[in-house]
Amino acid sequence: MTSQKQTLPRFAVLQLSGCAGCEVALINASEWVEKYQLVYMPLVTSTHRIPADTEILLVSGGVRNDEDVYNLKRAAEIVDKVIAVGTCAISGGVANLGDRDEVRELFMAQSNRHHLPHLLPKSHPIDTFVDVDLYLPGCPPTPELFMAALTDPEGFDGSSIVCIECGRKKLKDMRPRHLLGFQQGEVLPDICLINQGYLCLGSSTRGGCRAICTRPGHPCVGCRGPSDAYIEKPSQVWFDRVQKVFERLTDIPPEEIHEALHSPQLSLFVFQFTDYMNGDRPPRPKEKIL
Amino acid sequence: MTTLRFPLSRIEGHARVEIEVQDGQVVAAQFQAIEMRGFRYFVQGTPAEQMPVITPRICGVCSTAHHVASVKALEDIFEVEPPDLAKEIRELLLLGQLIQNQATSLFIFTMPDRVGASSIFQMDESEADPEKQLGLAQRSLKVRQVGTHLITLAGGQFIHPIKAIIGGVTSGIERKDADKMLAELEELLPVACTLFDEYWDMSMAMKERIGTWGDDQPAFYIASTGTTRPQLNSNTIRVLGPDGVERASFAPHHFRDYLDYQETEYSYAGQTSYQGEVMRANSLARINLALSMGTPLADEYLDKLTHTFGKPAHPILLFDLCRGIELVYAFERAIEMLSKDLLYEDTSVPYSLKDGEGYGLVEAPRGPLIHHYTVKDGLIEDAEFIIPTVHNMLAIERALKVAGERYVSGEAIDLELEKAVGRVVRAFDPCIACATQ
Repeated sequence: MTSQKQTLPRFAVLQLSGCAGCEVALINASEWVEKYQLVYMPLVTSTHRIPADTEILLVSGGVRNDEDVYNLKRAAEIVDKVIAVGTCAISGGVANLGDRDEVRELFMAQSNRHHLPHLLPKSHPIDTFVDVDLYLPGCPPTPELFMAALTDPEGFDGSSIVCIECGRKKLKDMRPRHLLGFQQGEVLPDICLINQGYLCLGSSTRGGCRAICTRPGHPCVGCRGPSDAYIEKPSQVWFDRVQKVFERLTDIPPEEIHEALHSPQLSLFVFQFTDYMNGDRPPRPKEKIL
Repeated sequence: MTTLRFPLSRIEGHARVEIEVQDGQVVAAQFQAIEMRGFRYFVQGTPAEQMPVITPRICGVCSTAHHVASVKALEDIFEVEPPDLAKEIRELLLLGQLIQNQATSLFIFTMPDRVGASSIFQMDESEADPEKQLGLAQRSLKVRQVGTHLITLAGGQFIHPIKAIIGGVTSGIERKDADKMLAELEELLPVACTLFDEYWDMSMAMKERIGTWGDDQPAFYIASTGTTRPQLNSNTIRVLGPDGVERASFAPHHFRDYLDYQETEYSYAGQTSYQGEVMRANSLARINLALSMGTPLADEYLDKLTHTFGKPAHPILLFDLCRGIELVYAFERAIEMLSKDLLYEDTSVPYSLKDGEGYGLVEAPRGPLIHHYTVKDGLIEDAEFIIPTVHNMLAIERALKVAGERYVSGEAIDLELEKAVGRVVRAFDPCIACATQ
């Protein structure tokens, strides 16, 4: 049994600054146990180094401190293939909420403690520091997506957008006039959440998650990022698309949607994903995104 | 002076231990949280209503507890009381988390220590009978998965749940879904019990080998659980004295009258004490505070524990055995709840935004968790997260010092110390992402 296991492909999981939700999702996808050999993952193994013959590296979490930078660069050198896992590793994630001047100041006041890793001014996606071969977005990616990323990313059968996987019906004659609060109101079953006035981003968010939030009645917060149609374009194009969908399905004033989408606080996840197109980094090619 | 530094694994998040030795004496033991999450800062200015979706991201292991605590804090501010059915669904959600967490801690984090393997996935490569050990791993993961499935059923999403909303939950549970879950719980309850029996035996054997159950000095215990059965969704925190007498009982907004908080230079996580004294939260605290578990199998295990170790029990490695009792309880209680109708009324009441200050308490697997928010103009002006792992910091360091003293002498440092450090920390099952939120 031992020798058989040693011929299986070897993978490591490097957790940077994050919540471990991606790791928990990976443990939930336990089918890999038979097909891969897990050689490093501090959450579940007591191995303190990534072995030299490791083939695949999964990285979760954002780059938040100088030790994260060092560990990431060192790990990426060892392996053949780097997979960025989860929203934090891909776009900075929920930690991007800290990328505001007033918050950064509070944060940095914590950063100079005696012999502790030094905090960086913001949380960075991992491709700021290393080349990434495959992106696996989601907060966290589902076990199904993890298995696809490890075994057959090209063969994964996911829909282009969450809407298609959701299955709630879009109605022509149910046109709300204002956005409902994020959590307010009784959610009607089987009817599109946009028809019900919720700021749901499922119409342009990348599918593949099987609509696990919208089906039980929670608006899509866009954790998988924009679909292939928008991912290589400026975030404005994505926002415009969301706006158009609301204009078609509702009587909500366009200013109201615009304001909701552009307030960094109100549109938590949209805000995170704007980093997909941030600054001088070339766009992440859609072929590399699962 | 010699500083021994131990990296840690099989815990949630990034931490390490430093033990300082001078002339063969342990002079200090530090538990250092080396990451900094900072949610308390970066939720400032976010719309209050989004907190139940943001705060689960503090930690993917404890997300359910944050989700529910957040909703309760906002209900406190908006002055709404959720329907009973919503409270039941939330309890199921917290039970799912208890199953998932206790199974993870027992089988993935601490069982490898008992069989001398580096992980549950490598257990088939370690010395003992490989057939038997592979079976252990597969059974353990199946038991753990029951928790995940229960969270998905009651919480919608499997890691960062979404179904608890201000004023209730988004929906009840359909009979056919409840029945499917029931079948899985009933199939795996005996598996969980057998695994726990094996775990108990492994623990007894480990005690024989190492000669100790770890730091057994008395401590204060803190939990928000009930007396005759665990309550994960209560509104009262209780404190037990080292002698087993209940010393205090208070609502979450009074916590400052009882708990003292301090920060240190060597860790991104703070420490709390009970009026200057070492206290402990998590499974051992709940079990010491409980007269019974309220379900038959869990009560049998509780009797066995009390009979073997007395009450209150203080040795730290008993935290692990207490997790097993709670695992069995959570299965039994979930079966009890899912057998009843879970569609009998509306699952939420309407609310309107209000400014003010509020507190939300839940008993997370690691102990009482409080979310405290101040809302102004519908936005979070200030947020404070009172984290159970932080309540355990002084107790962890005391137990590390005890372990250090056992394995360090004037002549040598026993290599067993590294393993002991791992066992001590894992007994408390700390969560660093939460502790540095």
